[in-house]
Amino acid sequence: MDGDLILDMRGIWKSYPGVSVFEGFDFDLRRGEIHCICGENGAGKSTLIKILSGAHAPDRGTILFEGRKVENLTPHSAMQMGIQTIYQEHNLFPLLDVVENLYAGNQITNGWVIDRPTMVARTRDILKYLHSEISPFERVGRLSSSEQKVVEIAKALVQEAKVIVFDEPTSSFSQVETDHLFEIIRRLVENGKSIIYISHHLEEVFRIASRVTVIRDGRKVGTYPIAELTEQKLIRDMVGRDVSLFYKRDRLPIGEDVVFEARHLSGNGVRDVSFTVRRGEILGIAGMDGSGRTELAELLFGVKRADSGAILIRGKPVRMKTPLSAIRNAMCFITEDRQALGLFLKHALTRNIPIVSYTRTRTPFALPSEDIRLSEHYVEELKIRTPGVSQLAMQLSGGNQQKVVLAKWFASRGEFFIFDEPTRGIDVGAKEEIYRIMVDLLREGKSIIMISSDMPELLAMSDRIIVMRGGAASALLEKDDINQETVLKHAIGVA
Amino acid sequence: MTLKSYSRRENGPIFLTLLAVIVAVILVEMFFVRGGDITKVAFIKPRNIANVLMQVSTTGILAISMTFVMVSGGIDLSVGQMMCFVGTGMAFMMRILGVNDVLVALIGVVVAVLFQVLMGFIISRTKLEPFIVSLGFMTIYKGFTYLITNGSEITIVDHFTFLGGTYFNLTSTFRIGMPVLVLIVLEIVTWLVLKYTKFGRSVYAVGGNENAAYLAGINVKSFKLLVYGLNGLFVAIGTMVLLSRLGTGNPLIGDGKEIDVIAAVVVGGTALSGGKGNLWGTLIGVLLLGCISNALNILGVNPYWQYVMTGGIIILAVLLSYFSGLSSESAKVGPRRGDSAQSKKALAE
Repeated sequence: MDGDLILDMRGIWKSYPGVSVFEGFDFDLRRGEIHCICGENGAGKSTLIKILSGAHAPDRGTILFEGRKVENLTPHSAMQMGIQTIYQEHNLFPLLDVVENLYAGNQITNGWVIDRPTMVARTRDILKYLHSEISPFERVGRLSSSEQKVVEIAKALVQEAKVIVFDEPTSSFSQVETDHLFEIIRRLVENGKSIIYISHHLEEVFRIASRVTVIRDGRKVGTYPIAELTEQKLIRDMVGRDVSLFYKRDRLPIGEDVVFEARHLSGNGVRDVSFTVRRGEILGIAGMDGSGRTELAELLFGVKRADSGAILIRGKPVRMKTPLSAIRNAMCFITEDRQALGLFLKHALTRNIPIVSYTRTRTPFALPSEDIRLSEHYVEELKIRTPGVSQLAMQLSGGNQQKVVLAKWFASRGEFFIFDEPTRGIDVGAKEEIYRIMVDLLREGKSIIMISSDMPELLAMSDRIIVMRGGAASALLEKDDINQETVLKHAIGVA
Repeated sequence: MTLKSYSRRENGPIFLTLLAVIVAVILVEMFFVRGGDITKVAFIKPRNIANVLMQVSTTGILAISMTFVMVSGGIDLSVGQMMCFVGTGMAFMMRILGVNDVLVALIGVVVAVLFQVLMGFIISRTKLEPFIVSLGFMTIYKGFTYLITNGSEITIVDHFTFLGGTYFNLTSTFRIGMPVLVLIVLEIVTWLVLKYTKFGRSVYAVGGNENAAYLAGINVKSFKLLVYGLNGLFVAIGTMVLLSRLGTGNPLIGDGKEIDVIAAVVVGGTALSGGKGNLWGTLIGVLLLGCISNALNILGVNPYWQYVMTGGIIILAVLLSYFSGLSSESAKVGPRRGDSAQSKKALAE
């Protein structure tokens, strides 16, 4: 119906093994508008980008581009049609100059010979159009992050983009750089380009958007002209889910004694964070992606060293020089990326599960019979579904792999657990099992620090929540303060 | 146990290859050279078997520590030239400077270990590829060797005779030399270390996933120093063994040895990417290459063709273990040995 629609997605379904992201998602983009997409972590923003850029195909649904139905979108055909995506991390060749980057894979030729003078001239034109001072001959790796973003926009223009998708373009930008980017985006729109802009900085959304679409749990909550939207409404749309769906954990009495404490920790992108954890408590750490949560965990576990501040265990200061010092102090770190950082994928469970426990014994020996006994014990206790302990870690499902990681730390008889995204990429059934295991830990008097992007998980499991923003703790929420809106407000900084 | 089920075991394919090669050599020699008379087959005469064992002893010793290095994710191309350097250096000290044998052995070990630790230091503190770093050291050692010898060999008659000249008569026709005994002892000790110590677990952990190993409390940097240092020790031992047998510090004493050693380790099932491999596989690899080279000599094959055939057999052996690895990975077989009734129950739930 709308003649000015350049892109129209209808009834998009998309699921990955174990998780369903889109269940009938609709989205439309008008020619010459800036359309912002808002949603929590994991709402489906990045899946939308992957579908638009042709990286992943939707399971069902239709995509109309300029009124024509699009089928079998590949990254190449998406670009040819005129959809360019500018990702959060750069997609440039750092060792090549600006000209070569703009025309990479797309060189202007004179018969068989590359026509560099024409390429240089056009690069100059485009950079001038973007009001950029960058030299065409500068090596891209030597440009600042915001200059590289300009090069990516220029590259999109070279490839005659009609739609440009920006994914969190301003993370790591200064205010001036952000202003400059916005100027460029406005100029693109004046020249008839259409923009999809994804950001969790609400103030940016209100500055630049013509329309806003809110996604929650893979569904469109609504699309609004910016004039009809307030911050309050936007946040309510982003979080508004039925609380009865949350996991209900057993609440246990929490000890009065503080067993773990961080005082004014700084370094590794973390700025002056202090908190306490009591016996038998789950301290949740909330925040948007890139707010410094994992970086904080790395300081606590000695992966990176703090510039200043102190960590106290049972009131005694402890120096976390390496992960080994953390392990010796009974700490455990269940990392976000279990395959890259947690598991020995090509090794049997008997080589995975006992590996941390070796640091807790004094002898230099490690007996295979003990490895098997320990592995079998945890396979049974955590109900790890495997044909046997000689199975390789890579052969297990995501949820069972996560249990192997847990078994590895349980075998070290730790007392303080840092969980970084404990249930990412795990199906619902296994999630509840992990939650039950966490509550069992509390029952044994252990303490947990839990980083999570999964709002229901965070709210359901945490006794108290620290919200992080820009590397600092922006709020500490207790009991009655803990609700979706408060957490999100502190995370995106409108409170 | 059937042949098929045996081929699924870790060292199965390589062991079967060794058996196949031995049988093939015997048959070929028997029918084409000895006119069908098995009693005349030189390849299986006790004397020849003792000879093969003696010939592979140095490569075998070096291959042990190379297995440690490669399973933990590294590689060392410098071992051959290090042998030349350490070997000629020891010969120089004994012959020209007249230093006492025991002291020479001690100095040799210390120098080899120190250089390897230096190399391990560079590799562990930076992200440089061990391949390139050890290539550099290889060239340095070559230079040292020629600086010491000026290109000529240094004979050392009557030194290290304890290693090269001691034999144990097992039967009237079969005797093994001290180098073979050294290999056997080292093989058993290191096998025990790899299987029953935390150090052994760390070798696999660091090679399997360095980041996960670090987060599990393993000091990856110091560990790598230790592994390369150990490699230095083994190179020094291997050098002494060879030096004592040859009785001369030839500047080419270890030339190309790194190829034999790495080939044996890889044929024996160690992954170049690390995390996988074991000492028995390596030993079989060493024996396989030793047998092939010995057999080709006995059969009177042109030495130049021997290179071609040895290379071909290396590739065949690696292909074989690649395909057997593929089939066992894709099969996702059910309960295997070591699995208890408990874990089977867990599966049933």
